[in-house]
Order: sequence, then C-alpha cells, then structure tokens
Amino acid sequence: MAEGSGTTPGFHQLSITIECAHLRPNGFLKPNPYVEITIDGKSPRRTEIVKTTSQPKWNEEFTVLVTPASKLLFSVLDHNSFRKDTVIGEKKLDLQQLLSHYNGRCENLELTLDLMCENKQSDSPSKAGELVTFLNGLSVELPNNVNRPSSSFMPLGQTNSDTLPNRSVLNGVRARMRLHGSENIVPSLPTSSRGSVERSTVASSPHNSNINVANAAPLGPPATVPNGNVQTGADESRNDEPLPPGWEMRYDVYGRRYYVDHNTRSTSWERPQPLPPGWEMRRDTRGRIYYVDHNTRTTTWQRPNSERLQHYQQWQGQRQHIVQQGNQRFLYSQTQPAAPGPSTTLPDEDDGLGPLPSGWERRVQPEGRVYFVNHKNRTTQWEDPRTQGQEVCAELEDATPLPPGWEIRFTEDNIPYFVDHNTKTTTFQDPRPGAPKGPKGIYGVPRAYERSFRWKIGQFRYLCHSNALPSHIKITVTRQTLFEDSFHTLMRLPAYELRRRLYIIFKGEEGLDYGGVSREWFFLLSHEVLNPMYCLFEYANKNNYSLQINPASYVNPDHLVYFKFIGRFIAMALYHGRFIYSGFTLPFYKRMLNKKLVMKDIESIDPEFYNSLVWIKDNDIDECGLELYFSVDFEVLGQVVHHELKKNGGDERVTEENKEEYISLMTEWRMTRGIEQQTKAFLDGFNEVVPLEWLKYFDERELELLLCGMQEIDVDDWQRHAIYRHYTRSSKQVVWFWQFVRHADNEKRARLLQFVTGTCRVPVGGFAELMGSNGPQRFCIEKVGKDTWLPRSHTCFNRLDLPPYKSYDQLVEKLNYAIEETDGFGQE
Amino acid sequence: MAATKRLQKELGDIRNSGLKSFRDIQVDDTNILTWQGLIVPDNPPYNKGAFKIEINFPAEYPFKPPKISFKTKIYHPNIDEKGQVCLPIISAENWKPATRTDQVIQALVALVNEPEPEHPLRADLAEEYLKDKKKFLKNAEEFTKKHSEKRPPE
Repeated sequence: MAEGSGTTPGFHQLSITIECAHLRPNGFLKPNPYVEITIDGKSPRRTEIVKTTSQPKWNEEFTVLVTPASKLLFSVLDHNSFRKDTVIGEKKLDLQQLLSHYNGRCENLELTLDLMCENKQSDSPSKAGELVTFLNGLSVELPNNVNRPSSSFMPLGQTNSDTLPNRSVLNGVRARMRLHGSENIVPSLPTSSRGSVERSTVASSPHNSNINVANAAPLGPPATVPNGNVQTGADESRNDEPLPPGWEMRYDVYGRRYYVDHNTRSTSWERPQPLPPGWEMRRDTRGRIYYVDHNTRTTTWQRPNSERLQHYQQWQGQRQHIVQQGNQRFLYSQTQPAAPGPSTTLPDEDDGLGPLPSGWERRVQPEGRVYFVNHKNRTTQWEDPRTQGQEVCAELEDATPLPPGWEIRFTEDNIPYFVDHNTKTTTFQDPRPGAPKGPKGIYGVPRAYERSFRWKIGQFRYLCHSNALPSHIKITVTRQTLFEDSFHTLMRLPAYELRRRLYIIFKGEEGLDYGGVSREWFFLLSHEVLNPMYCLFEYANKNNYSLQINPASYVNPDHLVYFKFIGRFIAMALYHGRFIYSGFTLPFYKRMLNKKLVMKDIESIDPEFYNSLVWIKDNDIDECGLELYFSVDFEVLGQVVHHELKKNGGDERVTEENKEEYISLMTEWRMTRGIEQQTKAFLDGFNEVVPLEWLKYFDERELELLLCGMQEIDVDDWQRHAIYRHYTRSSKQVVWFWQFVRHADNEKRARLLQFVTGTCRVPVGGFAELMGSNGPQRFCIEKVGKDTWLPRSHTCFNRLDLPPYKSYDQLVEKLNYAIEETDGFGQE
Repeated sequence: MAATKRLQKELGDIRNSGLKSFRDIQVDDTNILTWQGLIVPDNPPYNKGAFKIEINFPAEYPFKPPKISFKTKIYHPNIDEKGQVCLPIISAENWKPATRTDQVIQALVALVNEPEPEHPLRADLAEEYLKDKKKFLKNAEEFTKKHSEKRPPE
C-alpha cells in the first residue's frame, strides 16, 4: 500500500479511547471484560478489567502509532482468575478504508464496532455485542484518487449540530463525528458557544473553500486538532486528546511524565493543551511557528490556551459596544478658547536652572519674547521645558518656618502636606501665615487644586494648537485589515506629519471626515491594538481589565516596531483630542510621566505579590527563615527568567537590616520585569508625535481621563449596587456621601470612582459588574478610623475607607482632598 | 534559581524531621519546584491507604504560594475529582512568605483526617457526610480500598 504522499512518511499518532461496550448476555455469569488493541499484530495495549458486567465502561485513552495502512484489532476478553482469558468478541478495522471515507482524517470520530465471535455451531461468526470507541488526532494526505470531491466533504467544525447522524461506513462499523466529546467536555471552554454559531455561517460563506484548501495543504504533520478539550485537572486518564504536532511524551527516571516540544525544543511537565476548534499551527518561511485561527481568519504568534481565548472572547464581546461607547465619552468641550499663554515671568538667560535638555534651543521672537524649540520633535513652546508643569510655589517653602509641632511631609506623589502633631491631624493647607489660602473653590478647596485639571488641559491644548502643521494627511484603511493598514501608514510617514489634520477614509464607505470618522478610527483601532491575540498587551490581572505591556510580547518578533506604532498612535489620540477605548494601568501612566513607581503601585497589578512584600516590610524577617537573597525569578511562557537585584545578589541574604533596599529593588523589578524594551519603544514612538514634556502638567489619573474621556456616570446605578461595612444604607455619613456624589460634576464623580476602583471607567454592565482582585466586588464604603483622618481607598477591593465625619462639610472637604491629591496615603 | 535555597532548606528539614504522615518525598534534582509525596492519614476511612500528592511551587516562591493537587483519587468533601484541594493556608488572602511547606502539609493532613463539610469542593459528598455519616464512611472506605496507594511500612 502506497503512502499518501511524500510529506507523510512513516508513523502517525492516533488517539483511541475505549469507552464502553454492550455485550450480549451469555449464560449465568457476567464476564469480567477488558479490551485489547493490537496494531498490525504487534504491541497489544490493554484496558483495565471491569468486574462482572455486560455493560462495561472503561473510558481509557491510548495513543498509538499507526500508518495509514494499519489494521487495528479490537478484542474484548473475559478475564478469568483461574483459566485462560477467553475472547468475547473482536473486530478488525482497516484504517485505510476508514481514512478514505473521511478524506484522510480520523478526528472526533465515534466508532461503534460490532463484536463478532466464532460460533461453534455454524461457520459464520455471530455478533457478541458492540464496542464504542472514539478515534481522534489523525490526519494524513491521501493520494488524489482516493480523495473525495470536496463538495461532498464536510470538514469538521463546519456543521451546526453537535453530532452527525450515526452511519455505517464499513461492514459492521458505524461512525459519527462528535464536535464535542460529550463525556469529556469542559463546559467553561469559551469557544464552544461561539463555535456553533460561526460554524454555520462559515459553512455557507464563500470562504468555505479557502478553508478547505488551507486544511488540505501539505503542511507535514497533522495540522488541525479539533475538539477543544482543555485539561486543567490532574487526572491524566481524562486526556483523550493526542499531543499536538511536534510534541512527544516521555518518562523521566522517576517514571514521571513530561512533554517535549520539538518545535521550540523545550520541555514541560504539563501536558500541552490541544488547539481549539478551527485553529491550526503553521510555520512561516523563516521556520517560525505561528497559529492560524480559521474562525476569525487571524493569526497569532502565541499558542492559544483557554485563558487567552477567554480574554479574546471578552475582548471581542466588547466590540459591539465600542462605537456606542465612543459617542458617550466626553471631556471639557474643546471649543473653549485656547488657554492664554504662560503667564509666569520668563526666566532670563542666567536663570540657574542649568542647561536645556539636549535637542532644545532657546530663541527670542522679534518683539523680544522668549520661546523654546524642540528639534527632536520639531515643536515649539513658550514654556521652559525645565520648569514645565511645576507649580510655582517653591519660594514659600523655605521662607517662613512652620509653627511649633508642625511638620511638612510629602505624599507618594510628592505633594506637600502638613502634619500637626499637637492635634494629630493632617492637612494640605499650609498653616503658615501668608500661605496661599487663596480664594476657595465651591468645595472649599484652595483654588489652586480645583482649577488644575481644566487649566492643565488648556495648557496642553495650547501646545497642540501652536504646533499644528498645515494641510492634512490621508489615512485609508479597510475595516477588515484596520490594524495592518493603519500600521503601515503611520510608520511610513515622518512622525511630525501625524500632527497634521487627519482625514480618515474607510475604503468603500462614503463620508467625509469632519471628525466623526476619525473618532471612530481612534476608537476601533485602539480596541484592535489591544487585541490580546497580538500578544502586545495583557490585562493587568484576571480582574483588572486595565492593560499593561505583555512580557511575553517577544513571541511576536516584530513587537518593538508595533509598540513604537502604538506609542505614535496613543500620542495622536492625545494630540487630536480623541479618546481610546480601553485604558492602561495607572502604573503605566506613571511610566509615561516618568514618575517613580512605589510599592503601592504593585497592589493594583499583582495583589498577591504586593501582600507578600507588605508582610516582609511589616514583620521581623530575621526569625522566620525566609531564605531570601537579592535575586529573583519569574516565569514567562513557561521559562524561568532569573534576575540579580544587585551585583552578586544571589549570595547576599536579605536581613531586617537591609530589607528596605530589597523592597525598593523588588518594587522596581516587579514593575519593569520583561517590559523594559517594549516600554522604551512605546515611549519613543509617543515622543516623536507628542513630546513627553507636554504631559508634565498631568498626574497619572488625569492622563487616564484625558486619554479615555469621561462617561456619564449613572449615580442611581452606583448607589443601588453599593455595599457597606460598619455603616448602613441610612448612616448619616453614607447619606452625606451620596449627597456629595449627586452634587458633584462628572469630572469629580469620575475621579472619585478612579480613587476607589483604580479606573474611571464603569464596566459595560454597570456597577453590578464591578470587579475586584478576587472576582466580582461591589463598590463598598467601610467605616474606618477617626474623623481627623483622610479617606483611604483599596482599589483591589473597590473599597473606600470613610471615617465617621462629624458634618457634611467636613466629609466634603476630606473627600475632596483625598481624590484631588493622593490615593490611599497613610495617615497618622 | 532564587527559590532554590529556600526550597532546599525546607526539603532538608522535612526529610530530617521524618514526618509520619508525609512519606516517600520525591524531588527531581533538576526541578526543585515540583515535589511529590504520599499523604498517610491516621483517621478512618482514609487510614486504609495512602494518597499521592504533588506540590508545585511557582518561580516566584515564596512571594506566591505553592499549589497542591492529589494524584490519587480520594472520596473527600474538600478534594474534587480533578484532585484540586482548597486549603486556606495557601489561599491568596492568607498566604505569607514565612509559611513553610511542612505547615502546609500538616494543614493538608489535618484536612484529610477531618473533612470540613462547611467549605466543600464536592457538595454531594459534603451533603452525604452531614446527612448520613455512616454511608459516607462506608463509601469512602470502599473507595479508598479500591483507588488508594499502598501505605508505606511504618
């Protein structure tokens, strides 16, 4: 028998699951049946023995090596402790016939075999029962003349019912395809629901033939592995999937199973998960492995697993809401006149601020006014880049001493506050006479704080306006290839061109871009670049849907160019005053602002890690045998990456004495591990379009608002889904709190929400679907502390610690301080 | 590897202390992050056998807790069919970097000996345990005899 083609030499893996049998009763005693499989007369494999039954169930999987011409013999035997085991019935299966029936594929195939036995009375064998088996994972190239015409060939994964009718394929063998192995399916698998819908549409679409061709292409090893059983459990016998191509199972010296991936030349203890339905592994011309998703006709470098698919599905589910959401976002109306130029006095030549940053030049206009040129980005501005964005109140600090018993301290964000040790209170109000108590705003907060965001936006817009370039650029994209089209256009142009007015054209769609189209482009593309299948970004953790750079992005060989592209694109959104769909983590914004990351920043992205760090900080560690050294590991794509926190750190033990240094180094490492290059590429791309100095006006929370815009927040929904600890719905502080929220404008509400939950965005399903780090977590107000304290927040639990304030005014004042100036900083 | 020193010390301590209820500890020299061993419970119905477990330490140990799974089937309200067990001492909320593996194992042995039907992973078994203890013990004992590993010699 000739081999199918040159690309499928030798042996193939086939997974055979022996499920159950229905044996005809024969005499008084029920048998102790077991099954033996023999391939081409060699190497028999046996199931367990099931005691005294004629309806045995085994559900045992065997992975066997076969050739397309193999003959498989299934024998059901009766075990007997005293005599030789006897054959109850057997059936021989000619794989060649089966394969030719199924176009070379033996996948998700349930076979019911008639078990025959030699009959003493007559020459012809009689039927002794039926054996149900499940075959999977074999796909071979057959010679063309065996191939059935593709019109009658219905590939797997393209029917819309879970099972096809049972039909007889060979003499005494009935087969049907199972799309979901019903015994083994893990119901949480995300693709199953999507699959059945899309399959039916795909089957009738013109792409159908493409997919057939793709699947039949000579790809070497079996390419499609249908049926997405995802094994999470420890029970090895449940694995009824064959290994993916290129994988091999081996045993180590202790008899433990491990898995070798010959594709990447790596090993793993965990069994590789099979590819979900509709997925295929391929190699590009450089031999690199990638994965094709025929469901969506997209590709990715990273092997899909259930978690990633869940993310993907979630990401995809957002799509329908995107444009709708885009129209709901707003910030201050942009029709307001550009803010007046800098009003501070200009520094003279010898201003004591040191030299300008490289690439900058100081120039003087004919009428004598000084301005600054940034040659790197081809931008100009009035403000000195060395002092930009800094509040001008430095002169006060050293002028007069503080009153006795007072102390000045700084929050993590470097904002000064004042501690009165006499009364054990804290305040942002400078107690010194002559300090700018200033005109108070409507919330009783010094004007300097209240005006800030609106003023800052004005400053930023002004810089954008004054560096605008004439004319426009055209960006033509197709919806289906939005990402690639946009990438090529944005990277082909010199960066400064991206500051020209945008003219976006969706191919084949009429419509002039007077703003609406580009708003849509920003929203759609921002959603696209954050597609988890590109592996560029990931959710901060399973319950924090803000995005951060994915340390595994290097599986995409071009990832740095993509990050540069995304940097340019995000800068364009800010520059042109458009919003993006989904925001980044607050620590990421801090990186953009070049702010130092502190331990508290870890909490929102990795609460477990954070808690351990806090424990080390708060406890005497010399006594408890932690065995910590100045070195650390983490795992990315199954590989452990080692890092020395300092030179020879692996030999330096962490002690009570040096733990502060350790914590600080760990914080730095945790926040940057695996993402340094990507961050740099992103910032480079960003800086080419919008100089990073322009952002210095903002803090990280303002930057999020600026980039994502605000949403109308439904206070009724918010209040309805809030919960309380040590307060009740009718506690007066709670009543005051909601009174405050109702009186606040949208910006304040967004900031309050951001203060407590870490983001200003409300989940699509409203406050009922708010997530914390341990799953769904309602907005919670807890009574904590004394009325002299400031409110605190725990963003991973969506919790506001609200001290029992004595009056509405006090509550308003403290809340305003807290949300305007700091998040969760400690109090006395 | 950063966790190696800590794990080697813990492993040495556990081996030296000769825990009666945790035996046959196997650790591959090339991968100290995976341990296997036999849980040998004292209380009926589990004292008829022993149960193989696997402890998997994350690369970030001890910043993140280890994970434990049963490799031997067990009829127990707190251990599910896949061998997953819910052990408070290694949950995200309770984990402390100073928690030692021998404490984790002792907590696990205590849980095996004394099921906590109030926090079940298998509601059906918890219900049986609470409503018909006799039946539960009978089933569990049969199950143990059928599926568990041989107890190592004392």
